Amino acid sequence: MGAERHSTVLTPDVGFVKGLIGSGADNLKRCYQCATCSVVCDLTPQDNPFPRKEMIMAQWGLKEALSKDPDIWLCHNCNDCTKYCPRGARPGDVIAALRKSAIAENAFPKFMGKLIGSPALTIIALAVPVVLFLIILSTGGYLQIPEGQVVFDKFFPIHYVDPIFITVATLVLVSFVVSVRKFWNRLNVEPYKLLAYGQFMPSFIETLKEIVAHAKFGKCGANKDRTTAHRLVLFGFIGLFITTNWAVFYLYVFSWASPYSIEADKIPSVFGGSQAMAAMAYGAFKIFGNVSALLLLIGGIMVISNRMKDRGFVSKTSSFDWTFAVIILLLVITGILSEMLRLSNLPIAYPMYFAHLVFVFYIIAYLPFSKLAHMVYRTTAITYSKMAKRDIM
Amino acid sequence: MADDSKLGVYICKDCGLDESLNLEDLEKTAKGEMRAPICKIHPFLCSSEGVQVIKDDIKNEGVNKIVIAACSPRVNTDVFDFDQLLYVTERVNLREQVIWQQPAKDDKTQAMARDYVRMGIVKANKSEVPIPNKPDIDRTILVIGGGVTGLTAALEVAAAGYKAVIVEKSPALGGWAIKSYKSFPTKPPFDKLVKPTVDTKVKTAESNANIKIHLNSTIAKIEGEPGMYDVTVNKSGTEEVFRIGAIILATGWKPYDASPLSAKYGYGRFKNVVTNVEMEDLASKGRIQRPSDGKNAQSVVFVQCAGQRDEANVPYCSSVCCNVSLKQAMYVREANPESGAYIIYKDMRTPGLYENFYKAAQDDAGIFLAKGEVRAIEEAPDGSLIVDVDNQLLGQDMKIKADVVVLATGMVSSMLPEGKAVNDLTPEYIGDWVVRKTQDGEIQELAPIPHIMNLAYRQGPEIPHLKYGFPDSHFICFPYETRRTGIYAAGAVRHPMDVQQSSTDAAGAALKAIQCLELTAQGKAVHPRAGDMTFPEFRLESCTQCRRCTVECPFGVLDEDEKGTPRAHPYRCRRCGVCMGACPQKIISFRNYSVDMISSMMKSVDVPSEGDEPFIIGLICENDAYPALDMAGLNKVHINPNFRFVSLRCLGGTNLVWIADALSKGVDGVILIGCKYGDNYQCHFVKGSQVASERLGKVQETLGRLMLESERVKQVQLAINEWNQLPKILDDFSELLKGFGPNPYKGF
Repeated sequence: MGAERHSTVLTPDVGFVKGLIGSGADNLKRCYQCATCSVVCDLTPQDNPFPRKEMIMAQWGLKEALSKDPDIWLCHNCNDCTKYCPRGARPGDVIAALRKSAIAENAFPKFMGKLIGSPALTIIALAVPVVLFLIILSTGGYLQIPEGQVVFDKFFPIHYVDPIFITVATLVLVSFVVSVRKFWNRLNVEPYKLLAYGQFMPSFIETLKEIVAHAKFGKCGANKDRTTAHRLVLFGFIGLFITTNWAVFYLYVFSWASPYSIEADKIPSVFGGSQAMAAMAYGAFKIFGNVSALLLLIGGIMVISNRMKDRGFVSKTSSFDWTFAVIILLLVITGILSEMLRLSNLPIAYPMYFAHLVFVFYIIAYLPFSKLAHMVYRTTAITYSKMAKRDIM
Repeated sequence: MADDSKLGVYICKDCGLDESLNLEDLEKTAKGEMRAPICKIHPFLCSSEGVQVIKDDIKNEGVNKIVIAACSPRVNTDVFDFDQLLYVTERVNLREQVIWQQPAKDDKTQAMARDYVRMGIVKANKSEVPIPNKPDIDRTILVIGGGVTGLTAALEVAAAGYKAVIVEKSPALGGWAIKSYKSFPTKPPFDKLVKPTVDTKVKTAESNANIKIHLNSTIAKIEGEPGMYDVTVNKSGTEEVFRIGAIILATGWKPYDASPLSAKYGYGRFKNVVTNVEMEDLASKGRIQRPSDGKNAQSVVFVQCAGQRDEANVPYCSSVCCNVSLKQAMYVREANPESGAYIIYKDMRTPGLYENFYKAAQDDAGIFLAKGEVRAIEEAPDGSLIVDVDNQLLGQDMKIKADVVVLATGMVSSMLPEGKAVNDLTPEYIGDWVVRKTQDGEIQELAPIPHIMNLAYRQGPEIPHLKYGFPDSHFICFPYETRRTGIYAAGAVRHPMDVQQSSTDAAGAALKAIQCLELTAQGKAVHPRAGDMTFPEFRLESCTQCRRCTVECPFGVLDEDEKGTPRAHPYRCRRCGVCMGACPQKIISFRNYSVDMISSMMKSVDVPSEGDEPFIIGLICENDAYPALDMAGLNKVHINPNFRFVSLRCLGGTNLVWIADALSKGVDGVILIGCKYGDNYQCHFVKGSQVASERLGKVQETLGRLMLESERVKQVQLAINEWNQLPKILDDFSELLKGFGPNPYKGF
């Protein structure tokens, strides 16, 4: 049963409250604790439910207590609470702001959390890859638009691209390991402190199943159509992730350099020398990549249009959310345009590709600090909640 | 009965009366058995032709007692409006209470209608027109208290063209309101604190030629009655007597003594624990400094309901403290933007549009609110306070470090004398129990404490309180009226309220006081029998000085001479007839309402000499029970036809003689239906139904003498909206009586 009572000398963090107010929870202080939000929420556990308690903790600036709270990640921002809140305190937005603050709080290195967490600094975040790429290209003597057939490798050689992104991905991994450790240690305190860790794998697998099935999302009332959009975006990303790794595999295992030419002597033994088999694998890879991009495009457009819809209740989207949604859309649009312009053999494909790489860098390098980090934090928190028998699904 | 009286009975055929009743039979009863010289049946009595028939008879036949057998006396009052000083008008309710409740063309329905016609004629015969009594009155209104309520009342009185006299005990006007640093908002959008406006009222009152102000003054004595009170004012030792017509009691509130809060909250022990009243003073400098060392406060904790809603201290909610603490939290934040203000409440109560003010205060990131309980407060060596809170919303205990703790101590009525606690007051009159030795032994007696008004009234020097020292009044219908006609309470003396409500209250009380003056000047009663021109008459030669009337009068109308003979102050009277019911000698009567009249009405009823169904007389209150019975008719609800109802001004006027008369006539039972009594009483005359129930306690003796079961007499409390319960109440009583068999006196 619930929290053990403990007494501490209270030091509310007014700056924290103001920060939340600044990042979309501007009516947070309006809450008068009627708990309508917790009553209408389909995702909250019966015991010690959210978001009622998160509202008062946020009002009182209890940053420390909130950072230990796994419940903000059980919330899927359905906004049923916001719809029914009699005071317009918008609990859904408050919880969203709390998640944003948790991402920044657990970020490693910390300044990156601040950089990505502040929409005003987005331009700097985007300038980093631009400058980096320009330096790399100019030192290699590539800083020009190549003549003849459009081949991206001539403009930004793949043996530059891969080391950059493999390095970035490694750093991201390291950052996540540090952050998630910190996050886990924060969660793993009373009242839910885990004594046995034996349940990890089953809980983790259960969590992944739930994410793929969008089971929690499916319970949303007020914001139901977000489920489809999120599903498309998620599967688009997974598809593109697979495609990218597939390309790496071609390059380093099959030694197929882009643009792919499937010459007889380069057909790997798995295809048994059959050129037709190799061509089919190649075709499948292309179709898979393009379909994934389309899923992401459609999903991204749906996310934006959902946010713009008038729902009859006020739900504010923070500029943090907007920045991120727009960058995803730009990422997929520049990607598709790069492909189309390349196929049309127009030299403008090169700057488009450059822009695309900048957005790819943004999404991958800033993953632990952007909204996309929720995929790691949420997975961790839901797994933890399942282990702590707190999750109701 | 004077010889020159002439009765006319007018029966209406409309609204289905002709279809349901044999009207010729009723005409026969009126003319034959009841010997009415004139009885006419008219197809449409409330038409101008119908009324003209009556007017013609008045003119040509000399009719001066008019019995109209048609609809309820509660309707068509403007149509059947004959000068009450010249004509007695009696309405027989055949529509709502007979045909709308009973089957048509039925013997029992017809018998019922006949009885009501008989009773109506008897009542008219026994009534006389009132003799006008129009006194010379003084139209000055005394306002006791010069705070925001008193000032507003005086200004309203003056604006209506009357003179006002303010008596204020302190050296300056403005009361508590002028001591406030700022006020909470009174206008949309209710989000910013405003400067108090009471100083404008002070200036306007001071410069108004119709308002006379006595500062440093108290009331030494008030004697007299509405329109003619003589007031003795003690002004710093010198006395002045003047005449006034009505009184507004606007003495406001006072903070309760916070010293019992010392143990729990450290008030009086720790310098930095203050009350919200003291906080106004602290804030007036524009900075909030710790009283202990003058350091600027960084953290201020407000403890709501400190000692309130607590049976051990102040059991009620003062209704303003939540707004006051929100306001003072804003002081804290304005004085120091780095500071935090914490409000620990039981419930936040910001009624009405103040909800917006609550929201505005909440929006401040540095104001922290939570439902919780302050368990203890400790003092650190540097004078800071550690407030131990059970934060019920966070579900955890927490300690808050505070520079200042503000206790939201609430308001008690200024009617409370020094040293008296609200939860320990004597009933009705605030005073002390004293033991007096008499020849019959020691008796315990209440000695009321003179405090504000010093009324020269037999019943006590102050107005009665209902609970916690707040003046007794019919809270729903007549909030400003006290139990002293001509004295109206307004503002926080009446119940806790803020400046805005007090101002509205003051205007209401001012109009009530003016209404009282004008009605008194016309010789008419004030509410609830506004316009009644009769007065109680006393046949003092038969008085036995039993003092029941002087004790029981809810309005303190009757004083006593040395022997205990009642001495009436007629203009204090509200014509309820409680004294008439109290008098065992039957010496008190009105010209149109008397013990003999009601007895005669009951005796005129034709009690069936046999039959299975018990036959019952109902004495019902005209304010709630009678309209409820009308409503049952409007809703076409069937009522047991073996009841005959007699309407009383108030159940408190029930004289036990009537019960004896009814039972000895062979009636099987008597039911009394009156208002709810007790703490949340609904009686228009405050104590009527309660007095009736006390009297019924003594009826056993009468019943015993008649060898009858005490259950044959029953009192029921009924609210006006409970008409739908009437059929069951009546049937249940009838069933009960069946068990006892018929009244053995039947047929005698």
